[in-house]
Amino acid sequence: MVQRENSFRKYIIIWWRFTLEATQIAFASRFGAIIFIIGKLLRFVFLFFFVLLLFSKTSSIAGYSLKQMIFIFLTFNIIDTIPQFLWRDVYRFRGQIVNGYFDHTLLKPMSPLFKSLFGGSDIFDLFILILLCIALYFGFQYAGTIYIQNIILYILLIINACLISLAFHIFVLCLGILTTEVDNAIMLYRDLTQMGKFPIDIYKQPLRGILTFVIPVGIMMTFPAKALMGLVSIQGVIISFLIGGVLVLISLRIWRYSLKHYTSASS
Amino acid sequence: MSNLKSYYLVGRNTWDETVSYRLNFMVWRLRVVLQLLTTYFLWFTILPSGKYFAGYNQSMMLTYILGTAILSAFILSTRTSSVAEDITQGTLSNYLIRPLNYFWYYFSRDLGDKAMNIVFSIGEISVIVLFFHPPFYIQTNIIYLVVFFISLIFAIVLNFFFNMILSFIGFWSNEVWAPRFIFYILLTFFAGGLFPLDILPRPLFIFFQLLPFPYLLYTPMKLYLGTLNINQSFLSLLIGGLWTIGTWIIAKHIWRKGLKLYGAEGK
Repeated sequence: MVQRENSFRKYIIIWWRFTLEATQIAFASRFGAIIFIIGKLLRFVFLFFFVLLLFSKTSSIAGYSLKQMIFIFLTFNIIDTIPQFLWRDVYRFRGQIVNGYFDHTLLKPMSPLFKSLFGGSDIFDLFILILLCIALYFGFQYAGTIYIQNIILYILLIINACLISLAFHIFVLCLGILTTEVDNAIMLYRDLTQMGKFPIDIYKQPLRGILTFVIPVGIMMTFPAKALMGLVSIQGVIISFLIGGVLVLISLRIWRYSLKHYTSASS
Repeated sequence: MSNLKSYYLVGRNTWDETVSYRLNFMVWRLRVVLQLLTTYFLWFTILPSGKYFAGYNQSMMLTYILGTAILSAFILSTRTSSVAEDITQGTLSNYLIRPLNYFWYYFSRDLGDKAMNIVFSIGEISVIVLFFHPPFYIQTNIIYLVVFFISLIFAIVLNFFFNMILSFIGFWSNEVWAPRFIFYILLTFFAGGLFPLDILPRPLFIFFQLLPFPYLLYTPMKLYLGTLNINQSFLSLLIGGLWTIGTWIIAKHIWRKGLKLYGAEGK
């Protein structure tokens, strides 16, 4: 137990060091840093404006009111930003396989999975995340009465969404090891999750079913906000957590399989 | 004549290059389809059959969305981002000593890339049409088709010079990706791929028409649909043409200025 606690503390310290270094690199060009933050803010503001524009001409979309849509949109952005902040190094992983740097990672006295995931958290996304949380706080005030059990469920489902996202990030790492050809895999994940920036109910079947259970974008992006509004059944919540847990387990298994098949071809 | 053949071969090489990394390219195209499906279904839900939204019925809106998806594959695809790498890594020197025009070289590469994208795009749209049977308006009026093709040429050239200008930032700074990131965000919202710009409030729409972005997607699509009268069509062509010539002059000017600064660092 004590050993596990020490190990956890060690990894927290390592993550902190990685993040500090990544932040120093990110701010090496202040011009670039400012432009990136402005760009991310603009993207959010433009999409928010688009949602408002839609509701200026219609009273509901797929049965959702403006208030509900704003919650779904803010929740989507939070769930989209947390993985970008935490696991930004996944975007650089394929390069590390191609240039042989991953061999170096394997020699380090720490989990290669930890290094590949947490090797460089993106401080720009932390700024955006803080702003989103402030916006969500005001959103709560604007929404009127929200039950405490719904808020707890909302937070748990966001954590579950992050676990599903973690599983997808690990899948991308595995793909990087097993095949070096695919550059766009992590961006494909991003585009899939972007389909959840609007409620999953807008899609026709069978696409909606696929986006809920096969590639669980709906569970990740729409379910938390729906739970907050009291629109998710208990069965839906249980299935969400099951899918989250199973995906993480499968991803860890595939990671182990990939490591066994790593050929270090580039070095 | 032999020059023309050289540029044709450059374009064909780009096509072959894309084919060699076909899995990567297919994943890229899958990403484009996912983005299209999100926008398509959003509008499909907002605009049920028989309902109007800012003057658009379902058929007009879905034709617009699918049409801009095809056009963006043709107009916005570009290889010019590697121009910035040529400059910052010093490989530009290799091109400067060759008997070719650097602008024509990259324009040929762009055409090769566009050819591949358009082939895939038509295939994807055909699959979408087969599955979802969206209404698609075929323009038969020869005048509208002529002005559409002229606007299409303007849009391709305008996008090319825009991207060249962005890459020329490399002459002054290594931070070439951040401005491009902002450009893509502006493009996503102001070019008209997400929604037809004339649903915006009137003053905002008039302001946007003075910017170059609408002449990349919105104007060509509106000209194809024939929803602009003759005067509006020619005015749109005129402004689009002026922007194209303007960006050409600016790109040439920046290129000349940049070459004086170029020190082939990195080689």
